[in-house]
Amino acid sequence: MKNSKATIYKSGQDALEARIAYRIAARLNERAETVDTDISERLRFAREKALEKAQAARNAEAAHVISGGNVAAALLGGGNGWWVKLGSALPLVALAAGLMVIQHLHTQAQISVAAEIDAELLADDLPPAAYSDEGFVEFLKTPRD
Amino acid sequence: MASDKELSDFLKSVEKRAFKRVAYAVRDDDAALDIVQDSMIRLAEKYVDRPPAELPLLFQRILSNATMDWFRRLKVRNAHVRNFSDFESSDEDGDFNILETLEALDSSAGTESAADSVSRAQILLVIESEVSQLPGRQREAFTLRYWEELDVAETAQVMGCSEGSVKTHCSRAVHALAKALKAKGIAP
Repeated sequence: MKNSKATIYKSGQDALEARIAYRIAARLNERAETVDTDISERLRFAREKALEKAQAARNAEAAHVISGGNVAAALLGGGNGWWVKLGSALPLVALAAGLMVIQHLHTQAQISVAAEIDAELLADDLPPAAYSDEGFVEFLKTPRD
Repeated sequence: MASDKELSDFLKSVEKRAFKRVAYAVRDDDAALDIVQDSMIRLAEKYVDRPPAELPLLFQRILSNATMDWFRRLKVRNAHVRNFSDFESSDEDGDFNILETLEALDSSAGTESAADSVSRAQILLVIESEVSQLPGRQREAFTLRYWEELDVAETAQVMGCSEGSVKTHCSRAVHALAKALKAKGIAP
């Protein structure tokens, strides 16, 4: 019983304090609105400067994101439009074509060397020992196209 | 993320109170303006990506820290130790009854005469003067809690103390103000 009375008294006291406090705060608000023009102007200048800084911070953030995006696009071979994409794909195409040409030339060289050896063998006089070679006999038996 | 307009509106709504609060503490208008400007810029640079709802608490924290930094620099410069917690007033309310202040306050509501209106500016000046004369921690708790309308937990967060301390500081501040204003025959 005693406790509940104390609680009621305390909450009543708190409410009373809050009412007075808010009234005083309202008077402070009124007073704050009457600051000198000079101070108002300096506060306005400070606010505008802060807004400029905020804008600069946003721009810096945006630039960071864009540059990050460009690096990613370059790494992935992307770009702005089909021509840029084609341009970035051109070296790859040239490399593939070059490799194919080299492979072809290499094969041709091997064939011509083998043909020369065959031609020399066929044009040369056949040694008698060749007829005793099983492999050569087999070669002769193989039908020609 | 707060837009330019939201940030601008917020700063506009809070700048005068912020200036006054700091001016009560540092008692130097130029220094108060510098502190408010630094706080605004710090908020804009570091916390521009935060939602608008978070700005009031962030700004009050930045402002309080900037004010404390100013005092630290002053202390170093002057080699003069000033302990803000020593501002606590004695709690000798005697037989002062806070209810009398509210009764006076209620009886004056809606009965303001022309003469009262004329002297209103002077009354506001006296109230402001009494608030500025409060001990530092009491004034900070009072202005954050009732002027900036932060709740007890937010006030404690800004002040870096417990919620219980905030309630105690606020209660003492209100009693001190009510008593001082009653002594001067002013109902807030």
